[in-house]
Amino acid sequence: MPALELTNVRKTYTSGDAEIVALDHATLSVAEDEIVALVGPSGSGKTTLLSISGGLLTPTEGEVVVGGRDISGYSAQQLTEFRRSSVGFVFQSVNLVPFLTARENLVVVNDFGRRRGRKEARARAEKLLDELGLQRRMDNLPGQLSGGERQRVAIGRALMNEPDLVLIDEPTSALDTKLGEQVMELIVSEVKGRSTAAVIVTHDARMAHYADRTVTITDGVLAA
Amino acid sequence: MLAGLEMRRAKLRFGLLAGAVGLLVFLILFQQALFGSLLSSFTGALEHQSGTVLVYSAEARKNLAGSVILPPQQAAVTAVDGIGAAAPLGEATLTVEAGGEEANASVFGFAPGGPGEPTRLVAGRLPEGTGEAVASREDRDAGFDLGDTVTSVKGEVPLKIVGLTERSRYSVSPTLWVTFDGYTALRRAANPDAKAVLPSVMALTPAEGVSPAQLATRINDQVDGVEALTRSEAVAQSPGVAATTTSFQLILGLALVVVALVIGFFFLIITVQKLPSLVLLRAVGASTGYLVRAILVQIAAVVVGGLVIGAVLTYAGIAAASTGLPISVDVATSVALVAAVIVLALIGSLFTLVRVARLDPADVVSRQSLGGLS
Ligand SMILES: Nc1ncnc2c1ncn2[C@@H]1O[C@H](COP(=O)(O)OP(=O)(O)OP(=O)(O)O)[C@@H](O)[C@H]1O
Ligand SMILES: [Mg+2]
Repeated sequence: MPALELTNVRKTYTSGDAEIVALDHATLSVAEDEIVALVGPSGSGKTTLLSISGGLLTPTEGEVVVGGRDISGYSAQQLTEFRRSSVGFVFQSVNLVPFLTARENLVVVNDFGRRRGRKEARARAEKLLDELGLQRRMDNLPGQLSGGERQRVAIGRALMNEPDLVLIDEPTSALDTKLGEQVMELIVSEVKGRSTAAVIVTHDARMAHYADRTVTITDGVLAA
Repeated sequence: MLAGLEMRRAKLRFGLLAGAVGLLVFLILFQQALFGSLLSSFTGALEHQSGTVLVYSAEARKNLAGSVILPPQQAAVTAVDGIGAAAPLGEATLTVEAGGEEANASVFGFAPGGPGEPTRLVAGRLPEGTGEAVASREDRDAGFDLGDTVTSVKGEVPLKIVGLTERSRYSVSPTLWVTFDGYTALRRAANPDAKAVLPSVMALTPAEGVSPAQLATRINDQVDGVEALTRSEAVAQSPGVAATTTSFQLILGLALVVVALVIGFFFLIITVQKLPSLVLLRAVGASTGYLVRAILVQIAAVVVGGLVIGAVLTYAGIAAASTGLPISVDVATSVALVAAVIVLALIGSLFTLVRVARLDPADVVSRQSLGGLS
Protein backbone atom coordinates (compact mmCIF):
# COMPACT_ATOMS: atom_id res chain seq x y z
CA MET A 1 0.00 0.00 0.00
CA PRO A 2 1.53 3.38 -1.00
CA ALA A 3 2.02 5.96 1.71
CA LEU A 4 0.59 8.73 -0.47
CA GLU A 5 -1.53 8.55 -3.56
CA LEU A 6 -2.70 11.67 -5.37
CA THR A 7 -5.03 11.09 -8.31
CA ASN A 8 -5.93 13.90 -10.70
CA VAL A 9 -5.67 16.52 -7.97
CA ARG A 10 -6.54 20.03 -9.04
CA LYS A 11 -6.36 23.13 -6.88
CA THR A 12 -7.47 26.54 -8.00
CA TYR A 13 -7.49 29.84 -6.13
CA THR A 14 -9.78 32.66 -7.09
CA SER A 15 -8.48 36.14 -6.49
CA GLY A 16 -10.94 38.71 -7.75
CA ASP A 17 -12.32 37.28 -10.98
CA ALA A 18 -9.00 35.71 -11.99
CA GLU A 19 -8.58 31.98 -11.44
CA ILE A 20 -5.12 30.79 -10.47
CA VAL A 21 -4.42 27.10 -11.12
CA ALA A 22 -1.90 26.11 -8.46
CA LEU A 23 -2.08 22.36 -9.19
CA ASP A 24 -3.27 20.88 -12.45
CA HIS A 25 -4.36 17.23 -12.49
CA ALA A 26 -1.46 16.10 -10.37
CA THR A 27 -1.04 12.36 -10.00
CA LEU A 28 1.66 11.02 -7.71
CA SER A 29 2.32 7.83 -5.78
CA VAL A 30 4.87 7.59 -2.98
CA ALA A 31 5.76 4.13 -1.66
CA GLU A 32 5.84 3.23 2.02
CA ASP A 33 9.51 3.99 2.72
CA GLU A 34 10.27 6.17 -0.25
CA ILE A 35 11.77 9.67 -0.17
CA VAL A 36 10.63 11.89 -3.00
CA ALA A 37 12.21 15.23 -3.78
CA LEU A 38 9.83 17.79 -5.22
CA VAL A 39 11.71 20.35 -7.28
CA GLY A 40 10.38 23.39 -9.06
CA PRO A 41 10.62 27.13 -9.42
CA SER A 42 8.99 29.57 -7.06
CA GLY A 43 5.22 29.70 -7.39
CA SER A 44 5.03 26.36 -9.19
CA GLY A 45 2.73 24.77 -6.61
CA LYS A 46 5.08 22.86 -4.34
CA THR A 47 3.67 24.13 -1.05
CA THR A 48 0.14 23.65 -2.37
CA LEU A 49 0.86 20.00 -3.17
CA LEU A 50 2.29 19.37 0.31
CA SER A 51 -0.62 21.13 2.00
CA ILE A 52 -3.14 19.00 0.14
CA SER A 53 -1.22 15.80 0.87
CA GLY A 54 -1.11 16.65 4.58
CA GLY A 55 -4.76 17.59 5.00
CA LEU A 56 -4.17 21.31 5.44
CA LEU A 57 -5.92 22.27 2.23
CA THR A 58 -8.72 20.46 0.48
CA PRO A 59 -8.35 19.89 -3.26
CA THR A 60 -10.78 21.50 -5.70
CA GLU A 61 -10.94 18.19 -7.59
CA GLY A 62 -9.34 14.76 -7.32
CA GLU A 63 -8.59 12.13 -4.71
CA VAL A 64 -6.04 12.10 -1.89
CA VAL A 65 -5.29 8.80 -0.17
CA VAL A 66 -2.77 8.64 2.67
CA GLY A 67 -1.85 5.29 4.18
CA GLY A 68 -5.03 3.81 2.72
CA ARG A 69 -7.31 6.55 4.11
CA ASP A 70 -9.14 8.64 1.54
CA ILE A 71 -9.04 12.10 3.10
CA SER A 72 -10.67 13.94 0.18
CA GLY A 73 -14.04 14.11 1.87
CA TYR A 74 -12.89 14.59 5.47
CA SER A 75 -14.46 17.21 7.72
CA ALA A 76 -12.32 19.87 9.41
CA GLN A 77 -12.32 17.84 12.62
CA GLN A 78 -11.33 14.63 10.87
CA LEU A 79 -8.53 16.49 9.13
CA THR A 80 -7.24 17.84 12.45
CA GLU A 81 -7.11 14.33 13.85
CA PHE A 82 -5.48 13.09 10.64
CA ARG A 83 -2.77 15.76 10.78
CA ARG A 84 -2.15 14.97 14.44
CA SER A 85 -1.78 11.22 14.03
CA SER A 86 -0.56 10.54 10.50
CA VAL A 87 1.45 13.49 9.20
CA GLY A 88 4.63 15.23 10.20
CA PHE A 89 5.04 18.74 8.83
CA VAL A 90 8.05 21.00 8.49
CA PHE A 91 6.80 24.32 7.12
CA GLN A 92 8.57 26.84 4.98
CA SER A 93 8.43 29.68 7.53
CA VAL A 94 6.77 29.57 10.97
CA ASN A 95 7.69 26.30 12.61
CA LEU A 96 8.21 26.67 16.32
CA VAL A 97 6.24 28.17 19.17
CA PRO A 98 8.49 30.94 20.51
CA PHE A 99 7.50 30.60 24.17
CA LEU A 100 8.21 26.85 24.29
CA THR A 101 11.69 25.34 24.59
CA ALA A 102 13.02 22.93 21.96
CA ARG A 103 11.89 19.97 24.04
CA GLU A 104 8.48 21.47 24.75
CA ASN A 105 7.93 22.17 21.05
CA LEU A 106 8.13 18.40 20.56
CA VAL A 107 6.24 17.32 23.66
CA VAL A 108 3.32 19.66 22.95
CA VAL A 109 2.19 17.72 19.86
CA ASN A 110 1.82 14.64 22.03
CA ASP A 111 -0.32 16.68 24.40
CA PHE A 112 -2.99 17.30 21.71
CA GLY A 113 -3.89 13.65 21.46
CA ARG A 114 -2.42 12.18 24.64
CA ARG A 115 -1.03 9.20 22.82
CA ARG A 116 1.74 8.67 25.33
CA GLY A 117 2.16 9.46 28.97
CA ARG A 118 4.08 12.58 29.87
CA LYS A 119 7.28 10.83 30.87
CA GLU A 120 7.30 8.67 27.78
CA ALA A 121 6.71 11.68 25.52
CA ARG A 122 9.51 13.55 27.20
CA ALA A 123 11.85 10.61 26.76
CA ARG A 124 10.97 10.32 23.08
CA ALA A 125 11.46 14.06 22.52
CA GLU A 126 14.87 13.88 24.16
CA LYS A 127 15.87 10.86 22.09
CA LEU A 128 14.87 12.62 18.85
CA LEU A 129 16.65 15.86 19.75
CA ASP A 130 19.69 13.84 20.74
CA GLU A 131 19.74 12.14 17.33
CA LEU A 132 19.42 15.54 15.70
CA GLY A 133 22.48 16.76 17.57
CA LEU A 134 20.58 19.03 19.93
CA GLN A 135 21.26 17.31 23.25
CA ARG A 136 22.63 20.57 24.70
CA ARG A 137 19.91 22.77 23.25
CA MET A 138 16.79 21.11 24.67
CA ASP A 139 16.00 23.80 27.20
CA ASN A 140 16.60 26.71 24.87
CA LEU A 141 13.80 28.81 23.45
CA PRO A 142 13.68 29.10 19.63
CA GLY A 143 14.95 32.67 19.90
CA GLN A 144 18.18 31.32 21.40
CA LEU A 145 18.77 28.84 18.56
CA SER A 146 20.47 29.28 15.18
CA GLY A 147 18.51 28.85 11.94
CA GLY A 148 19.89 25.35 11.38
CA GLU A 149 19.11 24.33 14.96
CA ARG A 150 15.55 25.60 14.62
CA GLN A 151 15.19 23.65 11.38
CA ARG A 152 16.33 20.50 13.19
CA VAL A 153 13.92 21.06 16.07
CA ALA A 154 11.13 21.34 13.51
CA ILE A 155 12.20 18.03 11.98
CA GLY A 156 12.10 16.46 15.43
CA ARG A 157 8.61 17.87 15.95
CA ALA A 158 7.51 16.38 12.61
CA LEU A 159 8.72 12.93 13.67
CA MET A 160 7.37 13.11 17.24
CA ASN A 161 4.04 11.38 16.68
CA GLU A 162 5.49 8.61 14.44
CA PRO A 163 3.71 9.76 11.28
CA ASP A 164 3.12 7.65 8.18
CA LEU A 165 4.09 10.53 5.96
CA VAL A 166 6.58 13.36 6.53
CA LEU A 167 6.15 16.52 4.47
CA ILE A 168 9.07 18.93 4.48
CA ASP A 169 8.93 22.32 2.77
CA GLU A 170 12.23 23.97 1.79
CA PRO A 171 14.35 22.61 4.64
CA THR A 172 17.54 24.17 3.33
CA SER A 173 16.57 27.50 1.81
CA ALA A 174 17.62 29.45 4.88
CA LEU A 175 20.90 27.57 5.20
CA ASP A 176 24.23 27.69 3.36
CA THR A 177 25.14 24.75 1.15
CA LYS A 178 27.20 22.87 3.71
CA LEU A 179 24.63 23.16 6.49
CA GLY A 180 21.91 22.42 3.93
CA GLU A 181 23.60 19.17 3.01
CA GLN A 182 23.99 18.24 6.69
CA VAL A 183 20.31 18.83 7.34
CA MET A 184 19.34 16.80 4.25
CA GLU A 185 21.54 13.92 5.42
CA LEU A 186 19.91 14.07 8.81
CA ILE A 187 16.43 14.02 7.32
CA VAL A 188 17.29 11.07 5.10
CA SER A 189 18.78 9.05 7.94
CA GLU A 190 15.90 9.85 10.32
CA VAL A 191 13.24 9.04 7.74
CA LYS A 192 14.95 5.93 6.37
CA GLY A 193 15.69 4.65 9.86
CA ARG A 194 11.95 4.69 10.61
CA SER A 195 10.89 3.45 7.14
CA THR A 196 8.59 6.42 6.83
CA ALA A 197 7.65 7.98 3.48
CA ALA A 198 8.66 11.57 2.87
CA VAL A 199 8.15 14.32 0.34
CA ILE A 200 10.82 16.98 0.52
CA VAL A 201 10.39 20.24 -1.33
CA THR A 202 13.39 22.14 -2.60
CA HIS A 203 14.15 24.38 -5.51
CA ASP A 204 17.81 23.51 -5.23
CA ALA A 205 18.60 20.58 -7.56
CA ARG A 206 21.80 19.85 -5.58
CA MET A 207 19.71 18.79 -2.59
CA ALA A 208 17.58 16.43 -4.65
CA HIS A 209 20.14 13.64 -4.98
CA TYR A 210 19.56 12.70 -1.33
CA ALA A 211 16.13 11.39 -2.33
CA ASP A 212 15.17 8.08 -3.95
CA ARG A 213 13.41 9.89 -6.75
CA THR A 214 12.93 13.44 -7.98
CA VAL A 215 9.65 14.83 -9.24
CA THR A 216 9.62 18.16 -11.04
CA ILE A 217 6.74 20.59 -10.93
CA THR A 218 6.25 23.51 -13.30
CA ASP A 219 3.19 25.78 -13.19
CA GLY A 220 1.24 23.21 -11.27
CA VAL A 221 2.03 20.32 -13.61
CA LEU A 222 4.05 17.32 -12.39
CA ALA A 223 6.72 15.59 -14.48
CA ALA A 224 8.83 12.67 -13.34
CA MET B 1 0.44 22.21 29.45
CA LEU B 2 0.53 25.01 26.87
CA ALA B 3 -1.28 27.48 29.17
CA GLY B 4 0.95 26.83 32.15
CA LEU B 5 4.19 27.01 30.17
CA GLU B 6 3.24 30.28 28.54
CA MET B 7 2.35 31.82 31.89
CA ARG B 8 5.64 30.61 33.34
CA ARG B 9 7.55 32.25 30.50
CA ALA B 10 5.58 35.49 30.87
CA LYS B 11 5.28 35.71 34.67
CA LEU B 12 5.52 39.49 34.75
CA ARG B 13 2.73 40.03 32.23
CA PHE B 14 0.31 37.64 33.86
CA GLY B 15 1.38 38.78 37.32
CA LEU B 16 0.63 42.39 36.44
CA LEU B 17 -2.76 41.46 35.04
CA ALA B 18 -3.65 39.45 38.13
CA GLY B 19 -2.50 42.44 40.19
CA ALA B 20 -4.70 44.81 38.21
CA VAL B 21 -7.69 42.50 38.53
CA GLY B 22 -6.88 42.16 42.24
CA LEU B 23 -6.97 45.94 42.71
CA LEU B 24 -10.32 46.14 40.91
CA VAL B 25 -11.71 43.30 43.00
CA PHE B 26 -10.47 45.12 46.11
CA LEU B 27 -12.16 48.29 44.93
CA ILE B 28 -15.42 46.43 44.40
CA LEU B 29 -15.39 44.47 47.67
CA PHE B 30 -14.23 47.40 49.77
CA GLN B 31 -16.78 49.73 48.25
CA GLN B 32 -19.49 47.21 48.85
CA ALA B 33 -18.44 46.75 52.48
CA LEU B 34 -18.28 50.51 52.96
CA PHE B 35 -21.69 50.92 51.42
CA GLY B 36 -23.19 48.23 53.64
CA SER B 37 -21.83 50.03 56.69
CA LEU B 38 -23.06 53.40 55.51
CA LEU B 39 -26.50 51.97 54.88
CA SER B 40 -26.61 50.38 58.32
CA SER B 41 -25.76 53.80 59.78
CA PHE B 42 -28.70 55.27 57.89
CA THR B 43 -31.38 52.71 58.58
CA GLY B 44 -29.82 50.00 60.77
CA ALA B 45 -32.27 50.87 63.54
CA LEU B 46 -35.25 50.03 61.36
CA GLU B 47 -33.60 46.90 60.02
CA HIS B 48 -32.65 45.58 63.44
CA GLN B 49 -35.82 46.05 65.46
CA SER B 50 -38.31 43.24 65.98
CA GLY B 51 -41.41 44.68 64.24
CA THR B 52 -41.76 43.09 60.81
CA VAL B 53 -44.45 45.57 59.74
CA LEU B 54 -44.24 49.32 60.38
CA VAL B 55 -47.26 51.60 60.07
CA TYR B 56 -46.52 55.24 59.18
CA SER B 57 -48.95 58.09 58.84
CA ALA B 58 -49.75 58.56 55.17
CA GLU B 59 -48.57 62.17 54.97
CA ALA B 60 -45.15 61.19 56.36
CA ARG B 61 -44.17 59.70 52.98
CA LYS B 62 -42.20 56.89 54.61
CA ASN B 63 -40.14 59.38 56.60
CA LEU B 64 -39.90 58.36 60.25
CA ALA B 65 -39.26 61.95 61.37
CA GLY B 66 -42.50 63.20 59.80
CA SER B 67 -44.74 60.40 61.00
CA VAL B 68 -47.23 60.59 63.87
CA ILE B 69 -49.88 57.97 64.60
CA LEU B 70 -52.99 59.47 66.20
CA PRO B 71 -55.00 57.48 68.78
CA PRO B 72 -57.98 56.75 66.41
CA GLN B 73 -55.56 55.44 63.77
CA GLN B 74 -53.86 53.34 66.44
CA ALA B 75 -57.22 51.85 67.32
CA ALA B 76 -58.14 51.22 63.68
CA VAL B 77 -54.83 49.52 62.95
CA THR B 78 -54.98 47.26 66.00
CA ALA B 79 -58.50 46.21 64.95
CA VAL B 80 -57.23 44.73 61.66
CA ASP B 81 -57.37 40.95 61.49
CA GLY B 82 -54.07 39.05 61.46
CA ILE B 83 -51.99 41.06 63.93
CA GLY B 84 -49.94 38.99 66.35
CA ALA B 85 -48.58 41.85 68.41
CA ALA B 86 -48.59 45.63 68.15
CA ALA B 87 -46.63 48.30 70.00
CA PRO B 88 -45.90 52.00 69.63
CA LEU B 89 -42.49 53.05 68.42
CA GLY B 90 -41.36 56.64 68.85
CA GLU B 91 -38.38 58.36 67.27
CA ALA B 92 -37.03 61.84 67.89
CA THR B 93 -33.76 63.66 67.42
CA LEU B 94 -32.65 65.16 70.72
CA THR B 95 -29.57 67.07 71.77
CA VAL B 96 -27.70 65.14 74.42
CA GLU B 97 -24.57 65.79 76.37
CA ALA B 98 -22.23 62.82 76.19
CA GLY B 99 -18.58 62.71 77.25
CA GLY B 100 -18.62 66.42 77.95
CA GLU B 101 -19.85 67.39 74.47
CA GLU B 102 -23.24 68.02 72.96
CA ALA B 103 -24.40 65.82 70.14
CA ASN B 104 -27.60 65.14 68.26
CA ALA B 105 -28.81 61.68 69.05
CA SER B 106 -31.62 59.71 67.54
CA VAL B 107 -33.78 58.38 70.36
CA PHE B 108 -36.13 55.42 69.88
CA GLY B 109 -38.87 54.66 72.40
CA PHE B 110 -40.08 51.07 72.28
CA ALA B 111 -42.37 48.92 74.38
CA PRO B 112 -40.24 46.29 76.18
CA GLY B 113 -41.35 42.81 75.14
CA GLY B 114 -43.32 44.14 72.16
CA PRO B 115 -42.45 44.57 68.49
CA GLY B 116 -39.95 47.38 67.95
CA GLU B 117 -37.31 46.13 70.37
CA PRO B 118 -33.68 46.35 69.19
CA THR B 119 -32.51 42.90 68.05
CA ARG B 120 -28.76 43.40 67.86
CA LEU B 121 -27.86 43.78 71.52
CA VAL B 122 -24.14 42.94 71.80
CA ALA B 123 -23.44 43.99 75.40
CA GLY B 124 -25.40 44.63 78.60
CA ARG B 125 -29.21 44.42 78.65
CA LEU B 126 -32.26 46.29 77.41
CA PRO B 127 -33.48 49.31 79.43
CA GLU B 128 -35.97 48.56 82.19
CA GLY B 129 -36.74 51.90 83.88
CA THR B 130 -37.16 55.39 82.48
CA GLY B 131 -33.60 56.45 83.31
CA GLU B 132 -31.91 53.72 81.26
CA ALA B 133 -30.93 53.48 77.62
CA VAL B 134 -29.20 51.20 75.14
CA ALA B 135 -26.72 52.98 72.84
CA SER B 136 -25.09 52.20 69.51
CA ARG B 137 -21.73 50.57 70.16
CA GLU B 138 -20.22 52.41 67.20
CA ASP B 139 -20.39 55.59 69.30
CA ARG B 140 -18.90 54.18 72.50
CA ASP B 141 -15.79 56.36 72.22
CA ALA B 142 -17.96 59.47 72.09
CA GLY B 143 -19.32 58.98 75.60
CA PHE B 144 -21.95 56.34 74.79
CA ASP B 145 -20.16 53.38 76.33
CA LEU B 146 -21.60 50.90 78.79
CA GLY B 147 -21.88 52.56 82.21
CA ASP B 148 -21.68 56.11 80.84
CA THR B 149 -24.44 58.59 81.56
CA VAL B 150 -25.73 60.87 78.84
CA THR B 151 -28.01 63.80 79.54
CA SER B 152 -30.80 65.12 77.38
CA VAL B 153 -29.94 68.81 77.25
CA LYS B 154 -33.49 70.21 77.15
CA GLY B 155 -34.93 69.22 80.52
CA GLU B 156 -31.74 67.80 81.94
CA VAL B 157 -32.84 64.16 81.95
CA PRO B 158 -29.97 61.74 82.67
CA LEU B 159 -29.85 58.36 80.94
CA LYS B 160 -27.60 55.54 82.06
CA ILE B 161 -26.26 53.32 79.25
CA VAL B 162 -27.05 49.73 80.23
CA GLY B 163 -26.54 47.99 76.89
CA LEU B 164 -24.99 48.35 73.42
CA THR B 165 -26.35 47.55 69.96
CA GLU B 166 -24.52 46.89 66.73
CA ARG B 167 -25.42 48.06 63.19
CA SER B 168 -28.53 49.70 64.63
CA ARG B 169 -27.89 53.40 64.13
CA TYR B 170 -30.28 55.80 62.51
CA SER B 171 -29.58 58.87 60.35
CA VAL B 172 -25.83 58.43 60.86
CA SER B 173 -26.24 59.64 64.46
CA PRO B 174 -25.58 58.10 67.85
CA THR B 175 -28.73 56.13 68.53
CA LEU B 176 -30.35 55.53 71.91
CA TRP B 177 -33.08 53.03 72.68
CA VAL B 178 -35.28 53.78 75.70
CA THR B 179 -38.58 52.37 76.95
CA PHE B 180 -41.66 54.10 75.57
CA ASP B 181 -42.30 55.54 79.04
CA GLY B 182 -38.76 56.85 79.13
CA TYR B 183 -39.32 58.33 75.67
CA THR B 184 -42.50 60.06 76.86
CA ALA B 185 -40.62 61.51 79.83
CA LEU B 186 -37.80 62.79 77.60
CA ARG B 187 -40.21 64.47 75.18
CA ARG B 188 -42.21 66.01 77.99
CA ALA B 189 -39.10 67.37 79.68
CA ALA B 190 -37.89 68.83 76.40
CA ASN B 191 -41.23 70.44 75.62
CA PRO B 192 -43.37 70.90 78.76
CA ASP B 193 -46.25 72.43 76.72
CA ALA B 194 -46.80 69.29 74.64
CA LYS B 195 -50.12 67.66 75.42
CA ALA B 196 -49.52 64.02 74.63
CA VAL B 197 -46.51 62.17 73.30
CA LEU B 198 -47.63 60.12 70.31
CA PRO B 199 -45.76 57.24 68.67
CA SER B 200 -44.09 57.91 65.32
CA VAL B 201 -45.05 54.53 63.92
CA MET B 202 -46.74 51.33 65.03
CA ALA B 203 -44.50 48.28 65.10
CA LEU B 204 -46.33 45.03 64.38
CA THR B 205 -45.73 41.35 64.02
CA PRO B 206 -48.31 39.30 62.11
CA ALA B 207 -50.30 36.46 63.61
CA GLU B 208 -49.28 32.92 62.76
CA GLY B 209 -50.00 32.04 59.12
CA VAL B 210 -49.98 35.66 57.96
CA SER B 211 -46.93 37.07 56.20
CA PRO B 212 -45.70 40.61 56.88
CA ALA B 213 -46.52 41.58 53.28
CA GLN B 214 -50.10 40.24 53.60
CA LEU B 215 -50.60 42.12 56.85
CA ALA B 216 -49.28 45.36 55.35
CA THR B 217 -51.65 45.01 52.39
CA ARG B 218 -54.60 44.39 54.69
CA ILE B 219 -53.86 47.47 56.78
CA ASN B 220 -53.42 49.63 53.69
CA ASP B 221 -56.77 48.35 52.36
CA GLN B 222 -58.70 48.78 55.59
CA VAL B 223 -57.29 51.83 57.39
CA ASP B 224 -57.31 55.34 55.96
CA GLY B 225 -54.53 57.84 56.62
CA VAL B 226 -51.79 55.29 57.30
CA GLU B 227 -49.21 53.51 55.20
CA ALA B 228 -48.06 50.07 56.31
CA LEU B 229 -44.69 48.80 55.07
CA THR B 230 -42.81 45.60 55.69
CA ARG B 231 -39.55 46.07 57.52
CA SER B 232 -37.44 45.61 54.39
CA GLU B 233 -39.64 48.06 52.44
CA ALA B 234 -39.32 50.57 55.25
CA VAL B 235 -35.52 50.27 55.06
CA ALA B 236 -35.28 50.42 51.28
CA GLN B 237 -37.76 53.30 50.94
CA SER B 238 -36.39 55.47 53.71
CA PRO B 239 -35.60 58.97 52.45
CA GLY B 240 -32.33 59.04 50.48
CA VAL B 241 -31.71 55.31 50.68
CA ALA B 242 -32.99 54.50 47.21
CA ALA B 243 -30.94 57.29 45.61
CA THR B 244 -27.80 56.27 47.53
CA THR B 245 -28.30 52.62 46.64
CA THR B 246 -28.73 53.48 42.97
CA SER B 247 -25.53 55.52 42.80
CA PHE B 248 -23.53 52.85 44.61
CA GLN B 249 -24.87 50.16 42.34
CA LEU B 250 -23.90 52.28 39.36
CA ILE B 251 -20.32 52.65 40.60
CA LEU B 252 -20.19 48.94 41.40
CA GLY B 253 -21.54 48.09 37.94
CA LEU B 254 -18.95 50.33 36.30
CA ALA B 255 -16.15 48.68 38.26
CA LEU B 256 -17.39 45.27 37.12
CA VAL B 257 -17.50 46.42 33.50
CA VAL B 258 -13.91 47.67 33.87
CA VAL B 259 -12.90 44.20 35.12
CA ALA B 260 -14.45 42.62 32.05
CA LEU B 261 -12.79 45.10 29.71
CA VAL B 262 -9.34 44.81 31.29
CA ILE B 263 -9.39 41.02 31.11
CA GLY B 264 -10.94 41.05 27.65
CA PHE B 265 -8.43 43.47 26.16
CA PHE B 266 -5.47 41.75 27.75
CA PHE B 267 -6.36 38.36 26.34
CA LEU B 268 -7.22 39.85 22.98
CA ILE B 269 -3.80 41.52 22.77
CA ILE B 270 -1.74 38.53 23.88
CA THR B 271 -3.77 36.26 21.60
CA VAL B 272 -3.32 38.47 18.55
CA GLN B 273 0.40 38.56 19.31
CA LYS B 274 0.68 34.79 19.29
CA LEU B 275 -1.71 34.09 16.44
CA PRO B 276 1.08 32.64 14.23
CA SER B 277 1.87 30.11 16.98
CA LEU B 278 -1.77 29.19 17.41
CA VAL B 279 -2.17 28.67 13.66
CA LEU B 280 0.96 26.53 13.67
CA LEU B 281 -0.41 24.39 16.49
CA ARG B 282 -3.72 23.98 14.64
CA ALA B 283 -1.77 22.94 11.54
CA VAL B 284 0.17 20.23 13.35
CA GLY B 285 -2.96 18.75 14.89
CA ALA B 286 -4.20 20.78 17.88
CA SER B 287 -7.98 20.93 17.95
CA THR B 288 -9.86 24.18 18.47
CA GLY B 289 -10.98 22.83 21.85
CA TYR B 290 -7.38 22.34 22.93
CA LEU B 291 -6.48 25.97 22.25
CA VAL B 292 -9.71 27.33 23.74
CA ARG B 293 -9.15 25.25 26.87
CA ALA B 294 -5.62 26.62 27.17
CA ILE B 295 -6.96 30.19 27.11
CA LEU B 296 -9.73 29.34 29.58
CA VAL B 297 -7.14 27.92 31.97
CA GLN B 298 -5.22 31.20 31.75
CA ILE B 299 -8.37 33.26 32.34
CA ALA B 300 -9.20 31.10 35.34
CA ALA B 301 -5.67 31.54 36.70
CA VAL B 302 -5.84 35.32 36.31
CA VAL B 303 -9.31 35.55 37.87
CA VAL B 304 -8.43 33.31 40.81
CA GLY B 305 -5.16 35.19 41.34
CA GLY B 306 -7.01 38.50 41.16
CA LEU B 307 -9.67 37.34 43.60
CA VAL B 308 -7.08 36.17 46.10
CA ILE B 309 -5.18 39.46 45.85
CA GLY B 310 -8.45 41.41 46.08
CA ALA B 311 -9.64 39.45 49.12
CA VAL B 312 -6.32 39.94 50.93
CA LEU B 313 -6.34 43.68 50.18
CA THR B 314 -9.95 44.00 51.32
CA TYR B 315 -9.17 42.20 54.55
CA ALA B 316 -6.16 44.42 55.15
CA GLY B 317 -8.11 47.51 54.17
CA ILE B 318 -10.91 46.78 56.60
CA ALA B 319 -8.44 46.12 59.39
CA ALA B 320 -6.66 49.39 58.64
CA ALA B 321 -9.84 51.48 58.34
CA SER B 322 -11.39 50.41 61.63
CA THR B 323 -12.03 54.00 62.71
CA GLY B 324 -15.14 55.97 61.80
CA LEU B 325 -17.68 53.83 60.05
CA PRO B 326 -17.72 50.26 61.21
CA ILE B 327 -16.97 48.09 58.19
CA SER B 328 -17.82 44.46 57.75
CA VAL B 329 -18.15 42.27 54.70
CA ASP B 330 -21.49 40.83 53.76
CA VAL B 331 -20.73 37.25 52.70
CA ALA B 332 -23.70 36.66 50.37
CA THR B 333 -23.12 39.89 48.46
CA SER B 334 -19.39 39.19 48.20
CA VAL B 335 -20.04 35.74 46.76
CA ALA B 336 -22.41 37.27 44.22
CA LEU B 337 -19.79 39.86 43.27
CA VAL B 338 -17.10 37.19 42.86
CA ALA B 339 -19.44 35.20 40.61
CA ALA B 340 -20.11 38.37 38.62
CA VAL B 341 -16.36 38.92 38.16
CA ILE B 342 -15.94 35.37 36.83
CA VAL B 343 -18.87 35.65 34.42
CA LEU B 344 -17.77 39.09 33.20
CA ALA B 345 -14.20 37.86 32.67
CA LEU B 346 -15.60 35.18 30.38
CA ILE B 347 -17.83 37.64 28.55
CA GLY B 348 -14.87 40.01 28.14
CA SER B 349 -12.82 37.19 26.62
CA LEU B 350 -15.57 35.94 24.34
CA PHE B 351 -14.26 37.91 21.37
CA THR B 352 -10.82 36.35 21.81
CA LEU B 353 -12.23 32.85 22.16
CA VAL B 354 -14.31 33.27 19.00
CA ARG B 355 -11.24 34.59 17.18
CA VAL B 356 -9.29 31.47 18.20
CA ALA B 357 -12.14 29.15 17.27
CA ARG B 358 -12.23 30.68 13.78
CA LEU B 359 -8.51 30.14 13.02
CA ASP B 360 -7.79 28.48 9.70
CA PRO B 361 -4.87 26.06 10.01
CA ALA B 362 -4.12 26.49 6.30
CA ASP B 363 -2.96 30.03 7.13
CA VAL B 364 0.30 28.47 8.25
CA VAL B 365 1.26 28.28 4.56
CA SER B 366 -0.55 31.29 3.15
CA ARG B 367 -0.36 33.48 6.25
CA GLN B 368 -2.49 36.13 4.69
CA SER B 369 -4.70 36.93 7.62
CA LEU B 370 -2.15 36.58 10.41
CA GLY B 371 -1.55 39.47 12.69
CA GLY B 372 -4.73 41.29 11.86
CA LEU B 373 -8.07 41.07 13.60
CA SER B 374 -10.02 39.91 10.57
N1 LIG C 1 -4.06 31.49 -0.75
C1 LIG C 1 -3.76 31.73 -2.04
N2 LIG C 1 -4.56 32.52 -2.78
C2 LIG C 1 -4.28 32.76 -4.07
N3 LIG C 1 -3.25 32.25 -4.70
C3 LIG C 1 -2.42 31.45 -4.04
C4 LIG C 1 -2.62 31.14 -2.68
N4 LIG C 1 -1.64 30.33 -2.24
C5 LIG C 1 -0.84 30.12 -3.31
N5 LIG C 1 -1.32 30.80 -4.39
C6 LIG C 1 -0.72 30.77 -5.73
O1 LIG C 1 -0.62 29.44 -6.13
C7 LIG C 1 0.60 29.22 -6.82
C8 LIG C 1 1.38 28.11 -6.16
O2 LIG C 1 1.80 28.54 -4.86
P1 LIG C 1 2.72 27.68 -3.92
O3 LIG C 1 2.83 28.37 -2.62
O4 LIG C 1 2.27 26.27 -3.91
O5 LIG C 1 4.13 27.79 -4.67
P2 LIG C 1 5.56 27.21 -4.26
O6 LIG C 1 5.96 26.28 -5.34
O7 LIG C 1 5.51 26.66 -2.90
O8 LIG C 1 6.46 28.50 -4.29
P3 LIG C 1 7.75 28.85 -3.40
O9 LIG C 1 8.88 28.04 -3.92
O10 LIG C 1 7.95 30.31 -3.65
O11 LIG C 1 7.41 28.54 -2.02
C9 LIG C 1 1.33 30.56 -6.83
O12 LIG C 1 1.09 31.17 -8.08
C10 LIG C 1 0.66 31.34 -5.73
O13 LIG C 1 0.67 32.71 -6.04
MG1 LIG D 1 6.34 27.13 -1.09
